[in-house]
Amino acid sequence: MQLSSKIYEADSISAVQELYHSNGWTDGLPIVPPTEDAVRACLDWAMMPPDQLIGIEPVRGLAITAEKLAINAVMAGCLPMHFPVVVTAWTAMMQDEFLMHGATASTGGCAVLVVLNGPIRLEIGATGTFNALGNSDRATAVIGRAIRLCLINLMDVRPGVIDRSTLGHPGKFSYCIAEDEEDSSWKSLSEQRGVERAASAVTVMAAGAPRQIMNEWTTRPEEILETFAAEMRANLRHYSIHPGNYAIVVPKQLREHLQAAGWSKTDVANFIHERARIHRREWAEVGKGAVVRDRGDSVYPAMQSPDQLLVIAAGGPAGGFGAVIPPWLGDKSHAVTLPIGACIDCEPPKKPS
Amino acid sequence: MTFRVLDPTAGEAATTGQLAPRLDTLEGKTVGFISNGKEGTKGFFTHLEKMLREEYGVANVVSRTKSNYSAPADAHIVAEIGQWDAVITGLGD
Repeated sequence: MQLSSKIYEADSISAVQELYHSNGWTDGLPIVPPTEDAVRACLDWAMMPPDQLIGIEPVRGLAITAEKLAINAVMAGCLPMHFPVVVTAWTAMMQDEFLMHGATASTGGCAVLVVLNGPIRLEIGATGTFNALGNSDRATAVIGRAIRLCLINLMDVRPGVIDRSTLGHPGKFSYCIAEDEEDSSWKSLSEQRGVERAASAVTVMAAGAPRQIMNEWTTRPEEILETFAAEMRANLRHYSIHPGNYAIVVPKQLREHLQAAGWSKTDVANFIHERARIHRREWAEVGKGAVVRDRGDSVYPAMQSPDQLLVIAAGGPAGGFGAVIPPWLGDKSHAVTLPIGACIDCEPPKKPS
Repeated sequence: MTFRVLDPTAGEAATTGQLAPRLDTLEGKTVGFISNGKEGTKGFFTHLEKMLREEYGVANVVSRTKSNYSAPADAHIVAEIGQWDAVITGLGD
């Protein structure tokens, strides 16, 4: 099947860059030229015809096709083997509960955090160790970037157009992390959320910037987790009081203390759910007294329930650090986990002879 | 070397509706307000209602607020729109 996108001709690699930058089709960084061959390679890998409908964006009715996702994935630097992750992440983002339009247009300025689980991490070289929330590896770098380029080009989520973020954060360039499943006795995030461990999966979350914590001075789970909970309380005080999906990233050093004490992810979530909560009156201590009104004694937990906490095992082997990743804004957007399509006995689409 | 590269944009969504006929006058009409519920909408819509009633002779103003300021208007609000002669929506950022 023919690709349907308009073709442009450019005389040099620098002319390609200027074409894309001048049309507002980039994130400001150079792109990989999306040639027909490169785009077809992505579609072939995922066994998708170009016009396969990935979904209809629910607010403005934009049709999202495999071809357009593939063009943007190539631009971001994706190889064909990365493309199924991009497709699954976008499928997840288009679920109603993710509230994609609101999450990507909001002045709140969140990014889409993408968490990878399952065997595909190893196949594509997505590491979940050193520098997990930074430039840890090629796969997570380009997959996260593809999500943003798709938002820019498929939904006009450009700064000042649909993207009305006041500040945004650096995760809007790329915000993708793989869980370190090999070096953890915990269930994986996707397993916690109902996907078989043998399947690969993607979780998306409308997420603020990571807030790093440090506690190297204890091995007791309660004390380690109190530091995470305190950072969440700080977010409830300084940012938004509304409960929703939070994520915590627990690197090996702190994780081993928790696991040695027999604490599962569920135990961690239950403890943090009890500790990460504030009284509304605390807003008066941080300059927000005007909105305390007569509800000062009301208690606001960070999550509605413990299962709203996404516990992610990732990070380098040394250092008593961790991170809290807050939600965009309370419960407006819910994290979505989907398995990456697996097709048993599928035949690749027939090519025209 | 010539590069042949592809347009990454999705194009326009198909139009799913059309504009209602324009009103000749606001005199005696019912106007609905749909607010996104943010703090800044309160003063704006209060002033707008006063202006519509006093300067344009609007008979009724119906105020509705979305339950989620980041999402489209609730279905029950959208269903009500047919009973109004005009609707004004606004956000308060």
